[in-house]
Amino acid sequence: MTATLEKGISVLKEVIDAPIASYFSSCVHCGLCAEACLFYTETGDAKYTPIYKLEPLRRVYQQEYTLLGRFAKLLGLSKPVTDEELEEWKPLVYDSCTMCGRCSLVCPVGNDIVYMVRKLREGMAISGHAPDGLVGAAQRAVEIGSPMGVKLPAVKAQMKHVQADTGIEIPLDVVGAEYLVLMSSMEIINFPEYLAAIARIMKQAGKSWTLCSEAFEATNSGIQIGVSDIARVLVQRIVDGAEKLKVKTVISPECGHAYTALRWEGPNLIGRPYTFEVLHILEVLDGLRDQGLLKTTGFEETKLTFHDPCQLVRRGGVLEEPRRLLNLVANNYVETSDPGKMNWCCGGGGGVSAIEEAEPLRLQAFKIKKAQLEATGAKTLVTACANCRIVLEEGLEHYKMDIPVVGLTETIAAHLTKGD
Amino acid sequence: MNISNDSEFRAALSSLSGATRRLVAARLAANVLTLCPDPRVQGAIDSAKRTNISDAELAAAYQSAKAASVDSYTQCGHECNWSDQASHFVAEAGVACVQPEQPGTNAAWDAAMQARMARTCETIATGHGTDNTEAAAQYRILAEFLKA
Repeated sequence: MTATLEKGISVLKEVIDAPIASYFSSCVHCGLCAEACLFYTETGDAKYTPIYKLEPLRRVYQQEYTLLGRFAKLLGLSKPVTDEELEEWKPLVYDSCTMCGRCSLVCPVGNDIVYMVRKLREGMAISGHAPDGLVGAAQRAVEIGSPMGVKLPAVKAQMKHVQADTGIEIPLDVVGAEYLVLMSSMEIINFPEYLAAIARIMKQAGKSWTLCSEAFEATNSGIQIGVSDIARVLVQRIVDGAEKLKVKTVISPECGHAYTALRWEGPNLIGRPYTFEVLHILEVLDGLRDQGLLKTTGFEETKLTFHDPCQLVRRGGVLEEPRRLLNLVANNYVETSDPGKMNWCCGGGGGVSAIEEAEPLRLQAFKIKKAQLEATGAKTLVTACANCRIVLEEGLEHYKMDIPVVGLTETIAAHLTKGD
Repeated sequence: MNISNDSEFRAALSSLSGATRRLVAARLAANVLTLCPDPRVQGAIDSAKRTNISDAELAAAYQSAKAASVDSYTQCGHECNWSDQASHFVAEAGVACVQPEQPGTNAAWDAAMQARMARTCETIATGHGTDNTEAAAQYRILAEFLKA
């Protein structure tokens, strides 16, 4: 489909639903959302105020759905949204918004600004104003099945590697398994230790699990770029795989947006409830811990802290699970300032890490994370999102901070009792 | 000493001292070095081969290899180039060679696994299937090292 301004504006009109109308009409212009956004706090530039990023959408709302706005439009007194303006807004809607949801959380009138950004991105994408990096990722996700171009042979190669590493067979397409394990492209490409950790944990717990050759990828570029049709296709692929294999539970991996897409947006996207349960891997691990099926030994000796992935903790509500799991294996654990649901984003969520031109701003925004980590004195940083992990590593490397970043699942697996 | 599988390989590595493991790690990483053009990784592996290296030199080599590793990650949403990714895992093997030894870790085993991932990425990049003969090469490298 050819992207045009006309189609983009049409989509913007369509996406303005009752919540968005009420959000715009109830905004009291208090500016609290600015203080909650790392792109504003670290640059001091007012254009990064979250509600201001929505200006094109607000104007469409005003011109189409308010009495005074419609009169003004009729009389030619209001300025129409143009291609030039949307292009100017691209860095505000994409480069400087990780959809972390901190602004939504602090809004005193309860406006879900992330929801509005998601909807604005729909119009931006259809009008041809999405960043090239995200467009390419979304195209690959639909055509190949993975935003990073990962194909099944690559997954099988990693399975072989992990089998050799762990001595545990990695199951594929096992009908009737209890768990369907999904991975993000990042884990397939950069972090084979995640799959190795899953293999060890499931073996110890005595649980049946499988990968699916038709649905191994959890990442949802449709959510990031803001195209519901693509998001729907990607969710449906997982649903089809899970139902074909008749699994009870689908495990979302250490990937923030994958969890949001599958757990919270998925059923609405496909228009029906799932026939299976969706859990994040940390929810599964905490459940195994609760059942006494996660037996660990020893503790991490270094002082460590946890980076709360926004989509998992703030947006997803998986707040206590990582802390209970860390208590199993860490006796020198410290919280950062503003921990849990108020944590500061790594700066690379919402597709920002896929936008090359956004890198300088992302590194500038990382200063807040740097300050948080310095204050803890932690020697190891644990997180539960592969994208956060790389963004954190890059930020730490940029600011010459030698703090290893590790995944929570692999940290737990490293402490499983011997013989398991 | 004949090493023909991972159990024997791992057992042989476990019996070595930390300093000797580093020497073995360097040889295992060097076996895949052709997959990585980054001179920082070459430098780290060369450093790890030295028996008289100081702690300060080791720390500098670690910083350098770590930077090479971080620089070569495939970022979220970017199309994966498997040749570049092979280079990343060589850098990771280089990091394993010179990183400070932690309790419960084995630099040589870590370097071996990263080197195998590098070779796996190479096989994906070249489209020659996923057969990976790096493990067998590593058994030979260790056996020859122990024999010398």
